[in-house]
Amino acid sequence: MHPDDDPPPADAATALQLIRKQRGATARRLDPDARLLYWPWGVAWLVGFGLFFLRFSPGERELLRLPSWLPLTVLFALLLAAAAVQGAARERAHDQVTGDSARRGRWYGCAWGLGSVSVYAGLVRISEHLPHDLAALLWSATAAGLIGALQMAGAAIWLDRPLFGLGVWISVINLVGTIAGPGWHALVVAVAGSGGILVAGALARRRQRERHQP
Amino acid sequence: MTELDPVIHAQARLRVVASLSALGDGDMIAFPRLQELLAMTAGNLSVHLRKLEDAGYVEVSKTHRGRTPATLIRLSRRGRLAFEEYTEAIRTLLDPTPTKEQS
Repeated sequence: MHPDDDPPPADAATALQLIRKQRGATARRLDPDARLLYWPWGVAWLVGFGLFFLRFSPGERELLRLPSWLPLTVLFALLLAAAAVQGAARERAHDQVTGDSARRGRWYGCAWGLGSVSVYAGLVRISEHLPHDLAALLWSATAAGLIGALQMAGAAIWLDRPLFGLGVWISVINLVGTIAGPGWHALVVAVAGSGGILVAGALARRRQRERHQP
Repeated sequence: MTELDPVIHAQARLRVVASLSALGDGDMIAFPRLQELLAMTAGNLSVHLRKLEDAGYVEVSKTHRGRTPATLIRLSRRGRLAFEEYTEAIRTLLDPTPTKEQS
């Protein structure tokens, strides 16, 4: 029968409960909290691009008196912080798990890193010849375009609906903001972009909770 | 009553297999992390993994991470199938509505 000291579950109901509980607990520990993957970026966009809009407002106005270096510095600091939070959450969840998922994550991370460097290198060469407001538009529109495309591509890898929706949303509002012009683009990205990220984070978290239900 | 797979129909090994089934298809987990997820002693987990490996349900591979040796574990295709069949059998026991053909 059972020669070892591992007794069978008392009955079928106990067995099924044991399976659900264990699978749920494991999935919860191996899945980084979606809020930590999305929300820090939402805050960074809201505050960073919000300051951009207030300092470099449409029509060369200045809605809020701020040093001209401040918006970009704050934006970069918050983006770095968001990347750090996201990295730490992933690292903790995927610790000591290797294989296809890890490879997907590494290659996708590579697409972000290398893709950003190769795109922005061109912008550095071009933007020094542009007036300040157009240079700012070029940078933020290109960044948002790249981000939207990478999000849609990432969603295709993991069949992640909230991420796909976010990629579509970012691409569309980027188009709207670019048509609206310098200054307005920052406002559109700050409000609609960060809003989209926060909503996508909430949806991803809800999906995650459903998946983790024992 | 349906004959339940005796390798999996055991409390601790069922937990091991259920936990491994939550990993992605092509993923492996290191022994210490699995041990932590299951809250089992190393000796206990080793014994159960050996039994699962003997049944062909689990693949254990030894590798190196830098200089430290690491043991990586995954559910084999056969193990995944056995687990799915076991879960199905349990569900049928709990809810024997004849959705399929009657015998």
